[in-house]
Amino acid sequence: MNEIALTSADRFDIREYLRLEMFPHFLCPGCGHGLALRALLWAVHELGIDKDRLAVVSGIGCAGRLSAYVDANTFHVTHGRPLAFATGLKLARPDLTVIVITGDGDGLAIGGNHLIHACRRNLDLTCLLLNNEVYGMTGGQVSPTTSAERYTTTTPAGNREPTFDACKLAEGAGASFVGREATLQVPTLKNLLREAIAHKGFSFVEVISDCTEIFGRKNALGNSPEMVLRQKAGMRPDSWGNRVDRPFRPNPFPTGVFVRKELPEYRELYDAMTAAARRD
Amino acid sequence: MTDGLRNLQGNAACALGAIAAGCRFYAGYPITPSSEIAEWMAAELPRVEGVFIQMEDEIASMAAVVGASLGGMKAMTATSGPGFSLKQENLGYAIMVEAPCVVVDVMRGGPSTGMPTRPSQGDLMQARWGTHGDHPIVVLAPHTVAEIYTETIRAFALAERLRLPVVLLYDETLGHLVETVATEPPPPEAVVERRWAEVPREAYRPYAAGEDLIPAMARPGDGYRAHTTGLTHDERGFPTQEPAQVAALLDRLLGKLDRHRPLIERVETVEAADADVLIVAVGITARAARAAVRELRRTGVKAGLFRPVTLWPFPEGRFRRQAESARAILVPEMNAGQLVLEIERLAPDGVRVRGLPRYDGEPVAPDAIVAAARELVG
Amino acid sequence: MRIQEPNRAGSGSSPTETVVSVLMVGVGGQGILMVSKVLATLCQAAGLEVKQSEVHGMAKRGGAVFSHVRFGAKVHSPLIPEGEADVLLALEWAEGLRWLHYLRPEKGVFISDVRRIVPPFACRDRGRGVAPRYARSTPAEIIGRLGTGYALDATGIARDLGNERAANTVLLGVLSTALDFPEEAWLEVITRLVPPKTVDVNRAAFLAGRAWVENAVLPEPAPEPAPPAADPLLGRIVNRLEITREWCKGCDICVKFCPERCLALDAEQIVVPTDPEACTGCRLCEWLCPDFAIRLHKELPAEAAPAGADVGADAVGAAR
Repeated sequence: MNEIALTSADRFDIREYLRLEMFPHFLCPGCGHGLALRALLWAVHELGIDKDRLAVVSGIGCAGRLSAYVDANTFHVTHGRPLAFATGLKLARPDLTVIVITGDGDGLAIGGNHLIHACRRNLDLTCLLLNNEVYGMTGGQVSPTTSAERYTTTTPAGNREPTFDACKLAEGAGASFVGREATLQVPTLKNLLREAIAHKGFSFVEVISDCTEIFGRKNALGNSPEMVLRQKAGMRPDSWGNRVDRPFRPNPFPTGVFVRKELPEYRELYDAMTAAARRD
Repeated sequence: MTDGLRNLQGNAACALGAIAAGCRFYAGYPITPSSEIAEWMAAELPRVEGVFIQMEDEIASMAAVVGASLGGMKAMTATSGPGFSLKQENLGYAIMVEAPCVVVDVMRGGPSTGMPTRPSQGDLMQARWGTHGDHPIVVLAPHTVAEIYTETIRAFALAERLRLPVVLLYDETLGHLVETVATEPPPPEAVVERRWAEVPREAYRPYAAGEDLIPAMARPGDGYRAHTTGLTHDERGFPTQEPAQVAALLDRLLGKLDRHRPLIERVETVEAADADVLIVAVGITARAARAAVRELRRTGVKAGLFRPVTLWPFPEGRFRRQAESARAILVPEMNAGQLVLEIERLAPDGVRVRGLPRYDGEPVAPDAIVAAARELVG
Repeated sequence: MRIQEPNRAGSGSSPTETVVSVLMVGVGGQGILMVSKVLATLCQAAGLEVKQSEVHGMAKRGGAVFSHVRFGAKVHSPLIPEGEADVLLALEWAEGLRWLHYLRPEKGVFISDVRRIVPPFACRDRGRGVAPRYARSTPAEIIGRLGTGYALDATGIARDLGNERAANTVLLGVLSTALDFPEEAWLEVITRLVPPKTVDVNRAAFLAGRAWVENAVLPEPAPEPAPPAADPLLGRIVNRLEITREWCKGCDICVKFCPERCLALDAEQIVVPTDPEACTGCRLCEWLCPDFAIRLHKELPAEAAPAGADVGADAVGAAR
């Protein structure tokens, strides 16, 4: 038998982008972060990005551990700081494609300040925020995106705090590309990420992920397949809008691309400014 | 900067020294009394195709410096006490991942917001032990504007040579002091470039080092595709909790300082050889001590000065040899007594050690040192 | 092929003496409710007790709709139990097949349009160039298995009469030959119930359905669309799943999501293919494996694609 390849999916073997000696990875069974990583590497594959020119920067937490599995230039930095680190890296090395992987705690709580300023600055970075509603690595504490009433180890009577809409935050902070997708839709997520990486300027993608073993268990959300299916119940593409033939449910988590605009990229502006300074 | 003598503020000399040393990246956050360094870098870096960025906070500026450093640039940030506290997190990261960089702390009165415009030497211990865990660090403490210029250049050389953050520590008085300095380009041997990995990828182990304990760095894009983590890691750069590997990493990190002591240490002594009373002082206080030594010698007291330009690791051997012949040691400093602790630890048996602390926002005056020295040997 | 004479329900006795059960099935938008209303009204006019039970509304267009009609002197239950339908009237072929087990063994009458309406979410031909798998049985195969069966292209007949949507009435015409009601009574009710503008075409459709039974032949199954040039090769693609056992953590996602149900967890909670032949190569398992433990390989036999042969995107691109 001879292998044939007809489509992008046929040609993409994720193992070509992984550090095989690190596997199996440390994520729990059914963890959505693995699906997000597949979509990311698939997008990298489709864009034809050279692994040697790819930098993946991640913070602390379950999402932060993903960089170690990618066969590229990878940086596992301090809690909440991957965007700040990546800003320095990208400014020093504009030739690299710099992708930041963060989580809801890393990116919205301890690293929230860096996120809004990265959005504002519009340096050519891509930020994936894997939102699984919980601090999984530390044992399941409440996060800025934990839904109302959900139980965590630090909300024993159910969460009472309002949550963030990370995409609206990014949009409000001025990001030139904002989108959201669930890990259930791997090919769609791949397409979204491909667009985000190709976008010139700062792009922000929220990925709705699942913490099956800790958050799912604590809140009786079912086993792994059931949790993946649950995503579908809460989401629908933003492009559907309020079309009458799609009136199934309210839309707490629209998906798709929310912001896509051409704004001056930080480094280009800086280079123009410095060129002027050198002429003086 | 080929011109000869210039009247420069300490903070400006720091910025110009950095650029002369090859610094091409600066990330910072405004804080008194260090802001002039950022302002000078913002003006000067674009002229040499460098990058200046004012980040959203102190933490981010330190993180960006480490990012730029690992990207291959010589990088620096500057701050003062409150910001230095915030930088400790990523300073520790830089130590762990062995990212060369320079952090300037222009000390002001503390604790907390304290006195932003008043001098202090309250960060001597924070500079050594500010970030958590056992770690190596190099801290340089210049005492004139000219020395700020040359020590900044040396800070970059040490950082690049040792793959270690180097802290440049001076106080508000020096930062804002204007003196005439020669900002000549440093001699070639004073500027150290980074050692990049050149072996084939299969043979490369990111954290394996030879005799000098300093591994060659993998430059992103050169094909090594290395992993960098603040977790305790093995020679491949991947997380480990294996006791032998953990100990090997920390032995090597901590061992860098001892292995390269001759390179790191720098001491100035004034009439110390036959001194009965040895005055140990750093930074601006050493200037007062120098005047005090002169005055004491003029009035017949055999006084000498021991000034560690390299504050940490403290030049232990040099100090012990110098202190053997002394009858007493005086340690004036602008804090409640930090350096004196180290001197007490190192002083030979039978040698009296006395501190001369001052922490009211005023420098230690030569008169006070003279009086204390007389009392000590009188 | 000549279809045997209808074995009239309740033959030898009037339908009034026993309960007759007619199950009507189809998909949303075909007019199931109209034909069941015609039948119910007819029974009522004939002085019989009739009970009708239908499920619709949630189906929208394209979803399954069914209607139970039971009539006789005395009808207790509105629902037809499995295996007790005297007539199964299917407006759509695949729906007919789904309900076949409701038909009375040996004696039940099956009436169906041969048209298939493939729902958009059915995985029809994930293997590119592979024959469609949706409702694969041909009418001849099905009718051959049944006592009495009529399989006709009702939609085609109705279109020839001028309105494709009258296919339901064509089938009603066929149904009328299996039940003891006079032709005029049928026509009278149809005339009363259908929209006024469509009375003529519906009457014609009804009569056409009745006429079709007189000389019914089984339509040849509609030929599958001609495959594109490269398809003979592509039709031979074998889907092979490579499973990295050491990486699988047994989360069960692939097992539950596999549309063909051809994966399972073994005793060690590690995924194994249970029916490799059934795999259509849809890749859901590969895509949804958080552990990267599954990889799908599409392969051709060596003689079909000699090593080094240019079988790939280019060949298929040309075929498209």
